[in-house]
Amino acid sequence: MNIDRLTDGILKGDYRSIARSISLIENSGYESRKEIISRIYRYGNAKIIGITGPPGVGKSTLIGNLAPMLEDHGKVSVLAIDPASPFSGGAILGNRIRMQAALTRRGIYMRSVSNRLYNGGLSEYTWDITKILEASGSDFVILETVGSGQADVDIMNIADITCVILAPGLGDEIQAIKSGMMEIGDIFVINKTDREGSYLAIKDIRESLNMSNKLSTPVIGLNSITGENYDEFVAHILKLDKKNFREKYYRKLKMVVMETIYNKYSKYIDSIEYNNGILDKDPYTMAEEILRNGLGKVRRTYNSHSEEENNHIG
Amino acid sequence: MDNGKNRKYTEAPIKILLAKPAIDGHDRGIFVLAKAFRDAGMDVLYAGLLPTPEEVVDTAVNEDVDVIALSLLNGAHMTAFRNVMEILKKRGINDIAVVGGGIIPDEDKPALEKMGITGNFGPGTPLSVIINHVKKRAMEIRKLRENEY
Repeated sequence: MNIDRLTDGILKGDYRSIARSISLIENSGYESRKEIISRIYRYGNAKIIGITGPPGVGKSTLIGNLAPMLEDHGKVSVLAIDPASPFSGGAILGNRIRMQAALTRRGIYMRSVSNRLYNGGLSEYTWDITKILEASGSDFVILETVGSGQADVDIMNIADITCVILAPGLGDEIQAIKSGMMEIGDIFVINKTDREGSYLAIKDIRESLNMSNKLSTPVIGLNSITGENYDEFVAHILKLDKKNFREKYYRKLKMVVMETIYNKYSKYIDSIEYNNGILDKDPYTMAEEILRNGLGKVRRTYNSHSEEENNHIG
Repeated sequence: MDNGKNRKYTEAPIKILLAKPAIDGHDRGIFVLAKAFRDAGMDVLYAGLLPTPEEVVDTAVNEDVDVIALSLLNGAHMTAFRNVMEILKKRGINDIAVVGGGIIPDEDKPALEKMGITGNFGPGTPLSVIINHVKKRAMEIRKLRENEY
């Protein structure tokens, strides 16, 4: 594997290298993921703009308008995630169609990935992929989630700015004060303001934000057909300063560390097979023993245990 | 998938780009194919209506697809398909498989094969035949890429 050549390509902003390394990260397992990320980790300083919201509110269309406007202020890359089928594991990655024209005109890099049945509105490798896009010299990485429900809030851990996109007619003021997605937005957008009831939707969200003391959180009405109010939206995104995000970034890293450790341990725990003595221990004692003894010993401890038992019985 | 074996979900899905690289708005068939490929466990991209051959290649590179599936029902395949192949060649891309389909007369098929476009399925082809062909080509490409990196 010639990973050095790939990472050189990423840092130069070569689209083929970026695309190939994203595929490696998705497909080739932990080792190559580590190899790539450890080489590019220190590079790049991009604002990560998360775009989330229910299906069909116009997230992809909005990105098609937003990306070229942001390109005037710096290099833009786009990552869009679509859901995989729970039956076949396949996916139709349809986000690209909505933004194709705008992206081709400006030569913006865009990648669509399937969520591979990962919960929370993102894919398992979202952090790694945004890292690659950052290292490729982007100033802005736009990250579109799966069309998401009220509880898909993982985006807030990855994005520097979370934009929650809504449309008129999605619910009354009770919906607007619910937990979950309505709490994670740094910017709220009501798309399709040409539709009936858009004023009420803006009002409901404004009110519920005021109630929770988020007076400074902007609520913007957008019309993606005419491009109305997009200037304001872009201005709000530019206003947010990356310096304020160190703590958020640490939260991101913590999440990745936790996930890596979880994956590693669960593999070992998975390898412990059923034996006679194993049911004697309650799961908490067992977990503590595993943590105390370290990964290498886990298998030996439990398997030798089983041998003793067997001898004892024999 | 072999007989008597369960599907492995740990395998990376095949990524395929469906495109109609010329003036052709007949997209019902390609939607049927898109769903069939999805149900076969692939990640499916559709390039939308009326992409230029350059856009098709750009998309294929950015998304790092294994297979480009070209379809035309309007008779422009000898020009449009060739365009796509020429752009791929010019950019030195030899690790993406290209398959074809649509209303393609039998006389044109050897020429297309020579360009490197295989399959060239016409109306009435069972979906399973197309899926198996795409899988075969994708596996060839995956093997090629393993040696590359």
